[in-house]
Amino acid sequence: MAPATQFEATQPPNDAISALVFAPGTSRRLLVSSWDKNVYLYEVANSADEAELIGTFEHRAPVLDVCFGASPDEAFTAGVDHQVKRLDLATGEQTVLSKHSEPVRCVVYSAEHSLLISASWDGTLHVHNTADPSRTPLTIPLPGKPHALAASPTKLVVAMTARLVHIYDLPTLSKALTSSSTSPQQQQQQQPPQPWQTRESSLKFLTRAVACMPNDAGYATSSIEGRVAVEWFDDSAESQARKYAFKCHRQAAPEDEGGGDVVYPVNALAFHPVYGTFASGGGDGTVALWDAEAKRRMRQYQRFPESVAALAFSGDGKYLAIGVCPGFETGMEDYSGEGRAKLFVRELGETEAKGKGAK
Amino acid sequence: MGKKKRGHPDIEELLSRPWCYYCERDFEDLKLLISHQKAKHFKCDRCGKRLNTAGGLSVHMNQVHKENLTSVENALPNRQGLDIEIFGMEGVPDDIVQQHNQRIIQNFYTAQAERQAATGNPPRGQAGSQGPAKKIKHETAEELKKRLAEHRAKLAAQKAGGANGVPPSAAPTDGQSPAQGTAPFPPPQPAYLYATPGVPGAPTYPAPPTYPPTAATFPPGPSPPPGTTAPFSIPARPPSGAAQGAAPPYLYNGAPAYPGGAPSTVDELVANESRQGAGGDDIDQLIRMAEAGIKPAAGGPKNGPEEAAATAGEKKKKGSRMVYADTEVSPEERMAMLPRYRWVEGASA
Repeated sequence: MAPATQFEATQPPNDAISALVFAPGTSRRLLVSSWDKNVYLYEVANSADEAELIGTFEHRAPVLDVCFGASPDEAFTAGVDHQVKRLDLATGEQTVLSKHSEPVRCVVYSAEHSLLISASWDGTLHVHNTADPSRTPLTIPLPGKPHALAASPTKLVVAMTARLVHIYDLPTLSKALTSSSTSPQQQQQQQPPQPWQTRESSLKFLTRAVACMPNDAGYATSSIEGRVAVEWFDDSAESQARKYAFKCHRQAAPEDEGGGDVVYPVNALAFHPVYGTFASGGGDGTVALWDAEAKRRMRQYQRFPESVAALAFSGDGKYLAIGVCPGFETGMEDYSGEGRAKLFVRELGETEAKGKGAK
Repeated sequence: MGKKKRGHPDIEELLSRPWCYYCERDFEDLKLLISHQKAKHFKCDRCGKRLNTAGGLSVHMNQVHKENLTSVENALPNRQGLDIEIFGMEGVPDDIVQQHNQRIIQNFYTAQAERQAATGNPPRGQAGSQGPAKKIKHETAEELKKRLAEHRAKLAAQKAGGANGVPPSAAPTDGQSPAQGTAPFPPPQPAYLYATPGVPGAPTYPAPPTYPPTAATFPPGPSPPPGTTAPFSIPARPPSGAAQGAAPPYLYNGAPAYPGGAPSTVDELVANESRQGAGGDDIDQLIRMAEAGIKPAAGGPKNGPEEAAATAGEKKKKGSRMVYADTEVSPEERMAMLPRYRWVEGASA
């Protein structure tokens, strides 16, 4: 078996990590957005056990999300300063694509449709055509504040407050964008595209993360209450009967503290691009690999020193990046992740993330 | 070992089965136990190599993968330590052996009571009219109920008095159960509060005929000196005689007349018993199912010990505590409101 190793970046972000993402394909580039207002670009060398820092890009305000664009040199960021920006990783040039009226929580890029979708706490989605940046982005009002966003090849899943989940059809969004008028006045008169499906979350608590299956069949959501749900897009009765949820990222509390469980939020979800298994990262500082088909936990890695904030598999599925920093917990008056953020990259063994398949 | 009637093994058989320190599962023979340990607890999660001991795995991880092993995989929460060197039945601390035997004995009698209830066979003797002086072979359902009530009272007392195990007010009143007050049997949970002290000689309790003197259960003679045991021989460390001798009295010493407070049915008793034992038994069940390739009925992926513990924990009335409990506002929103991270338009360029 190929060796499996894990290493830590020697130059992690200075403050809490908000998101991390690998470039698509075989590129080993890794972008990390941080609350210290920077976006960090790392490159994981093929043989060396090190994630080398090859660039930092400073923003005006903390960056809440980052994603790659069409090439490994293009990235998009979501800022607390309400801006959605395009970032040229080669030149460092930053272009504002659109402005929300509240901090932007998520950005997601669909390579299939050349669409960039941003979600903001102002309760809207902005759909940008990255091939034609001059075009005014399409605004879609949402019934709640979005907290997580994920795209599969044809679907876009938006998880909001009040346990709302909207699923949009990306080709429909693409069509709506191209047919929409370039002038904002006329666009407002047009009906914004409706969601392809509206659902209620299978989880009773606030959604924390969403990730879509790479095979376009479904998605997983996680909540602040140590639970993960797996659902399928197909709304036929059989497919819906397959959905399930399970508990994870919990610890038994010591008896002298009254027993029971300490329940951690599941902060991060990521599907393996090849095997379709998925990883979850929780406030308990652990990362677990799950086999969605066989409904089994495949592994759980040794505890990290702090809460797991973000997870990403590399495009070829050979690496798993893990962003670790203190988690924000109820009752905290103040919070600082300064100096406590860490970035780990795990080189996966050949079959480490391979599921056994449904039994 | 030949099959006994109706396929129910007797208590000696159960007690002589080798079992795994890490997960409390028991096995037909020592060979199976050792291969179980190698597969479940001493397997390297990087390369799949199966080591003989936790120490061996630790050295392997260190030398081959340059990683530090901190805990034994798939072990019960309080048995994950690397400090105890376990191989088969060797190295299991005496107090743990005692706890295990007690759990087995208790489960055995619970199962027996369950069978009695299920088959409708009348319990031997009538409640209230019989004292320990009468030779009873088995505990009747009524006695079990009484004992459970006492046990519950004790648990409550323990809860009230912290982990110190304050003797409950339901101390022996009949003068015939000296062991009761001093040595409550602990619930068969993985987290044993304390080991039952061996109380020598509780002569008023006749050991039932089915339970012969200790030594007969185990290979006779003193334990072989450590190191001389061949890997696949009989268990090298039989539990100490004191443990064995001391255990039975607590199990048969139901106070003759316990007024009120008893559960109404044997079923309830059994249910309670299995609930109490959920920490250990669910895991056993889980492992068995996993090995048989059966999907857990619950549907979701199982989380090993944590999951089982969580289920047990939820059933208890103490609730779980959420680290982040705001169902409307996300942690990021809270953070974005802090002066440290807040964005004020125009404040900076």
